[in-house]
Amino acid sequence: MTESPRAPERPGPSSVTGPYERSSGPQSLADVLDRVLDKGIVIAGDIQVNLLDIELLTIKIRLLVASVDRAEEMGINWWKNDPMLSGKRDELEQENKELRERLEALEARHG
Amino acid sequence: MGDQGYYLYAVCRGLDPAVLARVEGVGPAPLEVVEVLDLQGVVSAVDLEEYGEAGLRSNLERLDWVERTARRHDAVVQACAQHAPTAPMRMATIYLDDRSVRDRLELAYDPLAAALSRVEGRQEWSVKVYATPSGPVREDSEAVVTSGAAYLRAKKAAAESRRTAEARAMRAARQVDGELSAIAVATRHLRAQDPQLSGVSSTMLLNGAYLVDAEDAPAFAEQVAALVASLTDIHIACGGPWPPYSFATVEEP
Repeated sequence: MTESPRAPERPGPSSVTGPYERSSGPQSLADVLDRVLDKGIVIAGDIQVNLLDIELLTIKIRLLVASVDRAEEMGINWWKNDPMLSGKRDELEQENKELRERLEALEARHG
Repeated sequence: MGDQGYYLYAVCRGLDPAVLARVEGVGPAPLEVVEVLDLQGVVSAVDLEEYGEAGLRSNLERLDWVERTARRHDAVVQACAQHAPTAPMRMATIYLDDRSVRDRLELAYDPLAAALSRVEGRQEWSVKVYATPSGPVREDSEAVVTSGAAYLRAKKAAAESRRTAEARAMRAARQVDGELSAIAVATRHLRAQDPQLSGVSSTMLLNGAYLVDAEDAPAFAEQVAALVASLTDIHIACGGPWPPYSFATVEEP
């Protein structure tokens, strides 16, 4: 774990690193892992780390980072916007509730 | 300290080993160069308690270990790639001794030499495109909506405008990829990054890697700047130059 988690990069103005100029600051861990785990030349070493292990590893890293405490510590609240997760469900539930209330109101009015 | 093995970071051609003098490896041991004909394997001795099969299996479970090793690995590869054509190895490619490194480089000589020729004088650039988070869709549900039908119409309109925005952003991402691919000599699409890892909550629409001739790098950067200026539905992040991780590839001999 990094000692002090970096503040999450906010989508702000687009960033461009000029040619011949190193990106300032450390590359994001995601970018480094994208490359050193998923890319690069694969030739057999004497010690074999099964590629499946590495697949597993990236999943594990995700799970690890995703643990709510850790994510909150990093200021990440992505799940609130992820349609696959609770955000959308809440929205749908809320919408259902509102529709039910309207229906009840209409039914009450029309007796 | 257990038995020693060798960690292979990258294979280079024409690298002056002196440039590695101040670069740290993954462990305390200094970087060394193993030569096979004109190929140079950049290695350092590692403790097999940490980097042996059992050690790796347990260490790969620890994010702090993975991060440190990944960053050191990348730093060595970056240092090599700044000075010579470089084919980066995947992280944690370990041999029991230097003889074994030599054997492996001999066996893979042709594909490694070909990979180095493919990336020589070229740089990898990373361009990521995110959907610009759309502002809250205006829903006049509080004040104006007086009937169920109007309420449903407003909901439908909101969903519609979300879909339109998404389609516009996707088109813009495709335009970015198309225009940059035209300048690059090769393009790879990496998996979109998980928001948990990237720390950016917006949807990643494109995670592109572009191999660019060094002399075309200014034109590439100009094109990126032009796209940034003209496309407002998306957020573009460009980084590099990276060592050619996504383009130095070999088939296992």
